[in-house]
Amino acid sequence: MEGTYWDRVETIQRDGLKKLQLKRLNKTFERAKKSRFYRDRLPETINSLDALKDIPFTTKSDLRSSFPNGMLSVPQEEIIRLHSSSGTTGRATVIYHTRSDIDSWADLVARSMYMTGVRKSDVFQNMMGYGLFTGGLGLHYGSERLGALTIPASSGNSIRQIRLMKEFNSTVIHITPSYALHLYILFQEECIDPVSDLHLRIAFLGAEPYSEETRKRIESLYGLDAFNSYGLSEMNGPGVAFECPVKEGMHVWEDSYILEVVDPETGDLLSDGEEGEIVLTTLKREGMPVIRYRTGDIASVFPGECPCGRTHRRISRIKGRTDDMLIIKGVNLYPMQIEKILMDIPEVGNNYLIEIEKIDYLDSINIKVEVRPEIFHGDIIELENLKKRIVEDLKNEILIHPRITLVEPNSLPRSEGKAVRVVDNRSK
Amino acid sequence: MASQVTVFVENKPGRIARITRILGNNNINIRAITISDMGEYGLINILTNDPDSASDVLSKEGFSVSRKYVIGVIMKDRPGGLADIAEYLNKSTINISNAYGFILKEGDKAVLILEVDDFDRAEEVIRKGGFHTLTEGELHNI
Repeated sequence: MEGTYWDRVETIQRDGLKKLQLKRLNKTFERAKKSRFYRDRLPETINSLDALKDIPFTTKSDLRSSFPNGMLSVPQEEIIRLHSSSGTTGRATVIYHTRSDIDSWADLVARSMYMTGVRKSDVFQNMMGYGLFTGGLGLHYGSERLGALTIPASSGNSIRQIRLMKEFNSTVIHITPSYALHLYILFQEECIDPVSDLHLRIAFLGAEPYSEETRKRIESLYGLDAFNSYGLSEMNGPGVAFECPVKEGMHVWEDSYILEVVDPETGDLLSDGEEGEIVLTTLKREGMPVIRYRTGDIASVFPGECPCGRTHRRISRIKGRTDDMLIIKGVNLYPMQIEKILMDIPEVGNNYLIEIEKIDYLDSINIKVEVRPEIFHGDIIELENLKKRIVEDLKNEILIHPRITLVEPNSLPRSEGKAVRVVDNRSK
Repeated sequence: MASQVTVFVENKPGRIARITRILGNNNINIRAITISDMGEYGLINILTNDPDSASDVLSKEGFSVSRKYVIGVIMKDRPGGLADIAEYLNKSTINISNAYGFILKEGDKAVLILEVDDFDRAEEVIRKGGFHTLTEGELHNI
């Protein structure tokens, strides 16, 4: 008989959970101390979880500066996979996984999917990008672990996505909210009503922030239940926290992660209910444990118990970022990555503005470049070549496909002090 | 040598009005104007009686302006007049990147303005062919 829970640990009593966390944390310290980065940063053991607050944070820049293997805790031959951020050279971060890490990750994702109601009989169409990005492969392994029929559709190619849904009667999809809205336009053009003509019943929406209104809209357009998920590649990827059928916050799997919320300014611990920066520690990671990682994500912990019976605490939707990280089509990107490439093109120099907007629900980057007298020689071919070069450089380096708009000199805003070079016109 | 000014403009309302008003206020007379439209932007080519001043005043108003030498060829205002020149240039393998023309107020003459890749050779070839090319001064006075 099928149960409500994938794993008994989901309903473990809080004091038992804390004991398990302390045991796994000390094991994590032991592993982490084998890496160059953590060797001298950690004690041998701690006697209480309360002592964790005295351990230094790990930041994104620590990950960058320990590239490529400063945080590796096992011999490299034990590693079977890596995932990497889409950084330009020198700014990339890399996460290594042993066989057991991949296994634990798949199990957490299977647990999350099972919680929302996915079963072996389901057909899961995974519409997230496969590759270095963790969204695609993360759910793929989880779905196979659960035993659902898994279609590795990956992202893009909307016509094929629709065909797959129809031909194989997909019941569960994993999709970015903006792509779900965009795809609906195509359904209308094809005269397909997703509610009556398809068999969809569950959607996992992730990889970018979206509102409760957007969730409701997608649910009614497609006739399904949409679930919010949270993850970041530093903590594996998807499967860190997931919504249960109650849909009031996402359960953080606290047998696998220690969840803290801190004041972004002072780093002081905050209580449940207070909004702050999410800090996470891996408890099962072998290849590359990460301790007290500053995620940069702002959220709060829901006080109180969840009616679903799970004892793992829930976090709210992500309210924002402590830094200027952008999420473009589900991919994390820092403005500096775009700016560095633009500044390397002499004709562009400092005269640009990055605009982000939604076109047919999809993120679109428009880069405005001033045609200053110094670069203007009355030649259209020269200007068009400049546009092509900017697009090519950005495509090659950070995999984005911007539109370039040439504008008249002195038409872009000049701000005093720190220039505002990124304008995000997307409504959250 | 005759020259035109080329101005970079965004494709938004009022840009041509603004440019021509600046020229008018500075007493600069426009002989011909053409636009190369690229969608979100365009290049406006303006032939005036005073390209130096035209270039100066537009630059001072903040526009990106480029001076370009062009060849002005006098031709007869009659059917086939343009074909005579075009055939001759083709035979001499002169490549034309842009061309426009206008009729002179007096007489039966027209002016063909040519933008060419190899300016020096083109001018020489045209002169050798017996065609009359306009000097800056002549352009000023027509």
